[in-house]
Formats: sequence, C-alpha cells, structure tokens
Amino acid sequence: MISKTPGKKRKEPVESVESDDELAGAPLDGVLSDADDGSSLAAEDVSEGFDSEEIDNDEHSSDAESVSSISSFQRHADYKVTTDANGNERYEYADVNPVYDSDDSDAQEQPNTIGDIPLSFYDSYPHIGYDINGKKIMRPATGDALDALLDTIEIPKGWTGLTDPQTGKPLNLSQSELELLRRLQMAEVPEEGFDPYPDMVPYFTGVEEKMPLSSAPEPKRRFLPSKHEAKRIAKLVRAIKDGKILPYKPPEERDREQNQEEETHYDIWANEEAQEPHVMHIAAPKLAPPGYDLSYNPPPEYLPTGDEKKAWQQTDPEEREKEYLPAQYDALRKVPGYGEFVKERFERCLDLYLAPRIRKNRLNIDPNSLLPKLPRPEELKPFPTLCQTIFKGHEGRVRTAAFSPDGEWIASGGDDGTVRVWSLNGHQEWSARLSPDESVNIVRWRPNKDAFILAAAAGEDLFLAVPPLVNDATEKASRDVLDAGFGHAAHNATTDGNNVIKKDTPAKWSRPGTKLEEKGVLLKLTVRSAIKMLSWHRRGDFICSVSPRGQRSSVAIHTVSKHLSQIPFRRLPGLAQAAHFHPSRPYFFVATQRVIRCYDLQRQELVKAIQPGARWISGFDVHPGGDNLIVGSYDRRLLWHDLDLSSRPFKTMRFHSQAIRAVKYHKSLPLFADASDDGSLQIFHGRIVSDLMESATIVPVKMLKGHKVTSNLGVMDVDWHPRHPWCLSAGADGTLRLWA
Amino acid sequence: MPRIKKKGQAGAAKNYVTRNQAIRKLQISLPDFRKLCIWKGIYPREPRSKKKVSKSATSSTTFYYAKDIQYLLHEPLLQKFRDQKALEKKISKALGRGDVGDAARLEKNAARPEKTGKPRYTLDHVIKERYPTFIDALRDLDDCLSMLFLFANLPSTSSVPAKMIDRCSRLCLEFQHYLISSRSLTKSFLSIKGIYYQANIKGVDVLWLVPYKFNQRVVGDVDFRIMGTFVEFYMTLLGFVNFKLYTSLGLKYPPKFDQVMDENAAELGAFTLEGLTIAGTENGKQIEPSTHKPDPKVQAEVDKVLKQIGNGEANDGEDTTAQDEAAEEEKAAGELDKFEVAAKGGDVLPQPEASDSSKRSLFANTTFFLSRETPRQPLELLLKAFGCKRVGWDAVLGDGAYTTNELDPSITHQIVDRPPIQAAAEASEDAEDNQTSQKLAANRRVPGRVYVQPQWVWDSINDGEIKEPHLYAPGTSLPPHLSPFVKSVNGAYDPTMPLEEQEPELEKLQAGSDDEEGEDELADDMDVAGSDDEDEESDDAFGGFSADEEEDEEDEDASEDDRQAELEAELAGGAVNSKSGDKKTKAKEDARKALAKKSREEAEDLERAKGMLSKKKRKLFEQMQYTNNKKSAEDEKLRAKRRKLEKEKQRKAKA
Repeated sequence: MISKTPGKKRKEPVESVESDDELAGAPLDGVLSDADDGSSLAAEDVSEGFDSEEIDNDEHSSDAESVSSISSFQRHADYKVTTDANGNERYEYADVNPVYDSDDSDAQEQPNTIGDIPLSFYDSYPHIGYDINGKKIMRPATGDALDALLDTIEIPKGWTGLTDPQTGKPLNLSQSELELLRRLQMAEVPEEGFDPYPDMVPYFTGVEEKMPLSSAPEPKRRFLPSKHEAKRIAKLVRAIKDGKILPYKPPEERDREQNQEEETHYDIWANEEAQEPHVMHIAAPKLAPPGYDLSYNPPPEYLPTGDEKKAWQQTDPEEREKEYLPAQYDALRKVPGYGEFVKERFERCLDLYLAPRIRKNRLNIDPNSLLPKLPRPEELKPFPTLCQTIFKGHEGRVRTAAFSPDGEWIASGGDDGTVRVWSLNGHQEWSARLSPDESVNIVRWRPNKDAFILAAAAGEDLFLAVPPLVNDATEKASRDVLDAGFGHAAHNATTDGNNVIKKDTPAKWSRPGTKLEEKGVLLKLTVRSAIKMLSWHRRGDFICSVSPRGQRSSVAIHTVSKHLSQIPFRRLPGLAQAAHFHPSRPYFFVATQRVIRCYDLQRQELVKAIQPGARWISGFDVHPGGDNLIVGSYDRRLLWHDLDLSSRPFKTMRFHSQAIRAVKYHKSLPLFADASDDGSLQIFHGRIVSDLMESATIVPVKMLKGHKVTSNLGVMDVDWHPRHPWCLSAGADGTLRLWA
Repeated sequence: MPRIKKKGQAGAAKNYVTRNQAIRKLQISLPDFRKLCIWKGIYPREPRSKKKVSKSATSSTTFYYAKDIQYLLHEPLLQKFRDQKALEKKISKALGRGDVGDAARLEKNAARPEKTGKPRYTLDHVIKERYPTFIDALRDLDDCLSMLFLFANLPSTSSVPAKMIDRCSRLCLEFQHYLISSRSLTKSFLSIKGIYYQANIKGVDVLWLVPYKFNQRVVGDVDFRIMGTFVEFYMTLLGFVNFKLYTSLGLKYPPKFDQVMDENAAELGAFTLEGLTIAGTENGKQIEPSTHKPDPKVQAEVDKVLKQIGNGEANDGEDTTAQDEAAEEEKAAGELDKFEVAAKGGDVLPQPEASDSSKRSLFANTTFFLSRETPRQPLELLLKAFGCKRVGWDAVLGDGAYTTNELDPSITHQIVDRPPIQAAAEASEDAEDNQTSQKLAANRRVPGRVYVQPQWVWDSINDGEIKEPHLYAPGTSLPPHLSPFVKSVNGAYDPTMPLEEQEPELEKLQAGSDDEEGEDELADDMDVAGSDDEDEESDDAFGGFSADEEEDEEDEDASEDDRQAELEAELAGGAVNSKSGDKKTKAKEDARKALAKKSREEAEDLERAKGMLSKKKRKLFEQMQYTNNKKSAEDEKLRAKRRKLEKEKQRKAKA
C-alpha cells in the first residue's frame, strides 16, 4: 500500500494533521512541528531530487505511522477511512456542524453548488445537485395526483406556478415582491410613495421692494439733447451740403439705367460664319401649321356632329386626338378667347427643353411600291378555278383521294372503312369495305400504266387491290404482279424457315379472305402499327408505308414482287410523318416532325438534312424534277425548298388561317396545291428554270373554297390529275371535289 | 488574347449621361441646370438602346448627350450662377445676423455690378453660339415670336413683372414695324386659337400665333418661372434680330419711342422710324409720318395731295401710252421665263414665283376706316403691311389713327363687324352716342364707300387679290375662311374643289342610289315631317361603309344563286325570267356590281402579293396602310358630311 502511494497523496494526511493541530490544544505542538517540518522538507527534497525511494519510503512510512497513530489518537470520530472505486483508501469526513454562533448560522438552507448549468441535466437522476458538503440534494418530492389536485384547489399564498431553478421547488412570491415586479414592469419608480415631481419650495420670494435702494436725484443730462449726436448730425449735414455724400438715386432712375444697359444692341452677326451644326444636333420640330378645321369660320363639313362632340367631351383630355373642337362663329367679334393658349405655350416650352429628341426615319413612299410585281393569274393559265364535280357517297370524312395513273379513275377512302373508285363524272364504279371499324387512311395507285393496282391502308393493314374496271389483259397483268411474290415468299420460307421463326418479321403477307378477294382485293399486308402514309416507287415494285406510332418500324419498304418487307431505319429521331422516293435517283426522303432527311439507298448513307423550320411537318412532296420540295406544316406554313440552294426554305408562304394537311405537285404542269383545315385549297404556280442562276418563280394563283369545315377539319387530301390541270380534294364534310 | 471589355466603359454607355449625373458634374442646382439647358438649347436625347446606356433598372431616366454637358462646363454663365449663389448666401447670412445694413449694401452692390464684383449676366454670347448665322436665328423665330406676343398680352403678376411685359410688347411692336416697312408679311389666318401670321424674311418662312385681345386664362399648373426663362432668352434674341433687320433696311434701332402716345394706346403709332444717321447729320430723316395729328393745316395739305393723286389718275390719259411702253419694257426685262417640260420623264422643279410686289401693295390706293367693334391691332398691321398708308379708326380704339372722323371723304373702305338692325336704327337715330366721336348713326352708310366685314381683309391677303366686297357685306353670311397653310395633297379632301371631282366611283354610285332612295321616300310620304326622313338618311350615310360590305357579300351570294337559277332554267328549257325593273336602276346596279367585283379582285391580288413579302416588309406595309386608311376614312367622313349638307341645301332650294 505504501509503495504504491504517489508523492502527492502523501501530503494530505500531513496537512490534515496540521489542521487538526490547530484545533487541538498546544502541548504537542512544538515536538510535532519540528519533526514534521524536517521530515516534510526532506521528503520534498528527495522527491524533487533523485529517486532514492528506499530511503524515502522508509522515512515516510515511519512518518506516516507516527502521524496516523497520533491522529487516531487525537480524533477518532472525525472521519472514516473507506475504500474507493479504485481500491484506494478514502476519507469520509463527518458533516461540519456549525456551532451556535458561527457566521453560517443564518443560511437557512444548503445552497445547490452545481453552478450555472441547467437543472435539466439532472432529470434522469434522483438528485438535483450537491450541497456545500458534497451531499446530494435530493429532488423534492413531487406530490402525487391528489396533491396536485389539492394544490390547484387551494392556491397557497404567493403561488406563482413557477419552479425555482435553484432549488427545483415551486417558487412563491410575497405580495410586496409581486408589487415590486409590477412597478418595474410598468416602468415606474420601484419604491412606493416616491414623488418624482415635488412641489417647488420657494426659498427666495419675488416680493417687490417699496422703497428705492438709492435716493439720488435724476441727473440733468437725462433731460438735455446730446451734444455728441448734434455734432455728428452737423457733420453729415455739412458733408451733404458739400456734396461729399450723395443721396441714393431714386429707384426708377436706377431701373432706367438698367434698362438702357440691357438694351444695348449691336450687330451680333456682323462677321457671321456659317457653321455646320453638330452631327448629333437635332433641331426642334416646328409646330404644324393650322388646318381648315381650326378656322373661326370653317367649311360646315369640318364641324363636329352632336355625337362627335359628345365623344370628344367624354374622352380624357390627354387621350383626345385633337385638343380643340372645331367651332363656327358667324362674325369675328363673336370669337371668344382661347382658354388653353397659355397652357399650350407652356407645353411647347416643356417640349423644347424636356422632351427627349430622337431622329426617326420616316418612309415617305407609296406602300404599294413594297409589293412585288406578280404576274397576272390570267397569264399563268391553265389552273383549276371552279368546282367541276362533287363526289358524294362516303359516310363520314373522306380521308384520302388519288387519281389513277391514266387519269380515268379516282380512288378515295374514308372514315367508313371503304375504298371507292369513281369515274370522273362523279359516278361510283367500285367499292370495297376493307375494315369494319378502322378508317381508310390512305389510298395510292401504282404509278405504272401496265398494271392497275390500288394500295389502300386501313389501320395496320395494307391492302393491294385490282378493281375490276379495266380490260382483261391489264387485269391479268395486274394479278400476275401481285401473285408473283407468293412463289418467292414460299421459296424463301422453305430456304430460311428457321430464320423467319427466329426473327420477328416486319410485315405479314397474306390473302385477305375470299369475300374481299372476290371484290378484287388480292393481297393483305399487316404491319405492327397503323399506317398513315403510303408512297410508291416510280417503277411500282416498292411501296413504303409510314406509321408514325410504329417506333422502330415506323417506316417500312415493301417489295411487291417478292412479298418482302424491310425496315430501313433502326432508329429515327422523332416521329416519322411522311416518306417519299426520289422521282429519278435512288434516294429516299423521310420527314420527321421537324426535319426531312434524304438517304441514299444504294450507299446506305445520309445525303442531306433539310430543316424547314416548321414546328410540325404534316406532309411534303418532291418535285418531279427532284430538286425541289414543298413542305406543309401544322403551323400554317407552306415552305418551298430548293435542295441545291440551302437546307433552309427558299420561300415561306402563309396564306392559311389553319393547319395545312397536304401538299402536292402536279406531275407535268408547273402547279402545286395545298389543302388546309380552313376548308380551302390554294393553287400556286411554281416554275422552275433550268438555268442555275435563276431561282424559281412562285406565284399564288387561286384560292379554291367550297369544302365545309366540320369539327375543325377542312380539306384532308389533295391530288392532281396526271396530265390536265385538274385538282382533286378530299373533304372532312364527306365529299370529294374535282376542280377544273 | 485581347483584354476583356467591361460593360459600360465604351460606346453608347459613355455617350450619354443621366440628368442627375450631369447636375453632379456641373455642381449646380436643378433650377440652375434647367435655366442653363433652356438658354443653351440643350435637350435630352433618346438613346437607341436604353438598356445599353442606363445603369439603373428604371426606364424613366432622361439622358443627355455627354458632350453637351462637357461643353457646359466651360460656360461663363455657370460661373455667374455660382457668384449669384455666393451673394445670396452672403445676404441671407447678414439678414440672419440681423445686420440689415450689410445686407442692403450687398444688394446695392449687386445692382451696381460695374463697380463691384458683378454677378450680372447677358445672353449675347449664347445667341451668337446657338445661331452662328442670321438665317439660323430666323429659322428658330417661330416659338420666339409666339411666346413674346403672348407675354405682351399677359396681365402683370408677381411671376410676370410689368417690366417684362412692357419690353415684350415693345419688341413685338418694333418687329411689326419692320414687317410693315419691309412688306414681308405673306399670309394670315383667323383661327379659334388666335391669329396666325406668316412672314417671309430673307427667304425664311416664319409662322407665329398671336392671341386675341382677351385676358388670358391661366389654367392648370403653368410654371411661369420656366416660361420666364424662355422669354428672357427670346427677348435678347428678338432684340438682336430686330437690330439686324432694321439696319438691313437702313433704319436706326431702336426707333424713337413716344411715351405719351404709348400711354394713349397708340401702339404702332408710338414709334417713329428714323434712317441711320450718317456721320455729321443731326436729324435722321423721317421716313414715315406714322402719327397723324388732327391739325387742320396738315389735314388740308393731305387732302390736297390726295386730290392731286386723284387728278393725276384722271389726267394721265395722255401719259398712259408712254407709261405702258416703259412698263412693258420693264416687264420684258424682269419677266420670268417659264420652264415647261418639253419631253416626258423629267422632274418638275418648283418655279420661281412672279414678283409679288403687286400682291404686297394690295391696298395701296385705299383708305380704311375701322369701326369700333373691329380688332384694331391685327387689321392695322395687315393693312399697313399690304400697302395701305391711311388707316383710320374710331377714337375709342386708341391713338395714332389717320383719322378718327368717320365722315372723312377720303375713306374708301370701312370695316364693320356689327349686324344691321333696321328697326332699332330709326329709334336710335336721335340717341346721343357719347362713346364715339363721330356723329354717324349706327346703321347709316356713307355713300360711295365699301362696307366689308373683317374677314374680307384676310381672304384678300391670302388669295393675293381684292375679294368681291358684296360677299363680305355686313350682315351677310360669310363664305368659309380657309387656312392658307394647308398644302393640297393628292387624294386628300379639299374643301375648295367641288365634291364630284374628288369622290371615288364607288362612293359616287352609292351617293346616287342614296339620292334616289331619298327621292323615293320623299315621293312616298310627302306629308311626313322632314325630321324622320333626315334621320333615316343619316343612318344610311353613316352606316354606309359596313352596309356596303354586307351588300358585297350578298351580291356574291346573289350572283351565284342567279347563275344557278339560270342554269337550271336553261336545263328546263324555259326562258330566263329576269327581274323586271327599271333600266336605269339596273344599269346602276350593274355598275355597282362591276365595281364590287373589281374591288374584290383587287383585294385578292393584294392579298396574294402581300403573302409573298417577308415578315418585316409585311409589317411595314400594314403599318403604312393603317395610317393611309385612317386618313382616307377621315376624308370619306368629310365627303359624306358635305354630301349630306349639299343635299339639304338642294332640298331647301326646291322647297
């Protein structure tokens, strides 16, 4: 135990001994103090010097033993020696018991010694701090529910409902304390009965004295004129008489002098030199000269009528077009003064110095000179002008119409799911219901004359039909064209059957069923989503279909002779809107919402991207020459593109008030047409010159109106006769119209 | 890499300063800055792009050109302003100390600037700077004259001191004297606002407005300090201009001013023009005895002279041939050759006008007398400026008349502006008229004298010829007084031309049909009071345009219907039964239809052509068309009104 005790701990018993000594009597004092002093000094020296623990310990132990023996001898009951948590001994002292006359006697309670920390730290303990002796101060017992109830019923005197943070007990305040608080709160003097404004105590009185302090008589000089002043006046008089002091000139004279001075005029422009005004100088505009209506006796037509007068009076003075009202007086003597004269002059002054000036170039030209000189439409004939025939028969909208390649027949398809073929006089020659519920979105004739084949799309199905209207030879040839692929398909199926099974085919070629076959519809082709557009290749072997919702397979090219379908694009940026083959070269145009792309099918690469700048392309057509495009858009624009010139439109035309649905070039004549939702067709003359230096001349020639607008849809499709300047339109009102 | 340019360091941002910046730079107060701007003719600018110039977010900042403000820094007036401010401070400080004597001394010193440090200023150098040549000054004289003539007619108040008014009226009268002696007044116009005058001084047209002689009503918040600043400048300007004009005529400036006559309201007569004194000669030769004293001797002499003139006119029958020859020679020398366009394609140049000396001496051989109800000042100016030497007026109109005797036999014309009252005339024959000096009864006429209303003078001047006096005789309703300043634009409505010449065909047709309708109505119900009729007609006239459009559409439909009917009829084999109607009406109907068709076609063409324009050009075109349409709509309204008025007149004539 001794060996473990560090030097520091040794001191405690020593000190305690000393303190104990003080408390005890004097007899042992000298002996102990000597011994103690020496030992303690030695011990300290040693501990500070080197580690000669052996000696030290020995000395110490002897010391300690002696001390302990003495102390135990002195006051045995003062403390207890216990073992603390570390196993060391620990002294526990008894409470200090103050005697009656100690200074501490008037401390009523043990104060909490935790210092300035919140009481909430002790929330989880049963005590709330420590007293001066290190004893725990236990949490005052909180009353149970019944006590609380009782407390609420009879409120003890001075109850505040607060808890004293020091003691954790309810804080009670006496009446005087509450009063003090109230005064402090009201910013009054805290002491009661203190008068901040006491009455003044008149220490010195203003009592008037009745008798003078001095009884000396008034001096004589107070009654005599001042000699000094008289002297000064005499001096001034003399100066005035001598003319030394001049009295002021009368103010009028002074003014006159001033005037004369002002009026000294001379030839300020005696040697004038013309100067160019500063470049930035803008001269103030002059006021407009008076017109006829400002006369005191104007011609009677300039006088305002009653209504005009009333309107003028009712408008705000600042909003009036004229600041005066013309009036007529039959004699000059009757003309009154103009009330606004001063105000108008003042406003002119303000304008002169306050109004910002700006130079504005005003075009003083005839507006008609801006208009381009367009050739007369009469010079550009022929073009369709009148409605020749109306084809009625479709129920619901007619969505599409097309002229046969020989120009004898007209095919149409509509919402009733039928395809109809008409002769030009308006008689319906053939019809077939392709689908009971889907509408026919598009019909297109095979362009070659050797066969008579009509392609029509209803929903996801593409039908190829040979209407029985032509001579047998042609019909036979047509059937042969359609049937040729069956053998090929069968052959293919046998050769790479496993391939077919493995791959999801883009389209399924099949017979449409006996009922339709009897009608002449010979082939059915099913793709993955609804077809909106069809376009034949010029040789008639390929047909491309566009189904905007078809995602990856939105554009498909079908080979009729092989019954084969291909999907040329893995991925298209945007929804495909339309696709066309180039009329002479192996190019393929695909329109998405904003861009038209031109692909080379042989090299399989992108040739050109055309940006019409329209928000949403509705359709386009390629000029038979192959170098020009017209694009129609849902944002009411018709755009002409020259492919050689730029990717931007060459001309933009906006004549329609509604979206443009379809555009079409004439095959041989320099005409093109567009169809719009506002129920009108517009015919343009568009001549292309072979000379490269000259650009195309585009002249609007005719607006064809006749279709009625039903549910915001007007004309759905437009097509041209292959040779004549005849135009065919399909309307949402259920009619087709032939214009010639 | 070049240094990165900071925003607001170059270009437009440096070219403009805001008003506050300018004031801070010049270190003067806002009123002083305003004064300086008015005198120096500095005005705010509208930068091309406000956003580039302004540093603040507020859009309502005024910008000045930075160079203008920089020039102002060297302005001598600026120093004067500062001195004035210092003096004011000294005086107020003295007053604050209660040292009245000191303050008075300071103020006195300010009034005697030549002896003390002088904070007085003149605007001479500003005028020289703003108007480097005399022509420049004349170009800017419009506002100056209008302003000074207004101030000459204002009552004196605390903000408009009497001295200023006095000086303004003096300058104006001096200017009028110049106009009279140089005969440079060209046109004048009686408007409801006042009287417009135009003079051609050294080739520059100056137009100004003079208010009628009434007490001016000051309405709203008119700041006379601002107007006073302008007037101060204009007074100096007109003083110098007058000096230059007088000396150019060989006259002395300022002319002799008679205080007594001025107090007797002689106005123009208070001045005596003198020739320039050549060194040595004491008395300037009197150019024009503008004041006429009713001295019997002088009167007699004048009469004699007048008689001689009259005799001379009568007697020089034998001299006429010689004179004519001389005149012809003169004419040949001074005649203007007329340049006529020989071949097409050349531009037409403005041709020099024939010398208008005849026009300038329009009233040369006449003597006028102004009745007391006529405005004396404008008439005196105009008559004298157009060659009339002798203008007399009633004594109540003021001093300085040629004669105040209405019965003076030399008077050839009398200007009267009162209604003829026949009944009252006899009654008041004996009544004593204590206001006027002459003893002629109210409606008595002196035989051999032309009585006209004042408008006759103005119309004669503007047209350059003496108008028929009977049109302007007292009591007759006057012909309309037209503004001589309106330049006729092709296609615009011109009240001097007959209606038929200016209305387009469509309107003419419509008017014709309206006529007939009106006649029909008349024929139908003659008994009905005219008012109903008029109402209906007026409705027609005003709703004309819209009704026309509707009709067009109807016509279209009708024509289509007609054609269909015809086709059907043909198919049926029957004859087309046309609507039986008057041939005349049918022809008119056809014409109207043809016109409607034509206009429709034109509209279609326009639409087609407009579609081919670029967006920018189309906007421009539409804007131009908008203004043109507005103008033509106004013209059309005027024509409609006139048509209606003429029709009423015809009807009245018939009845």
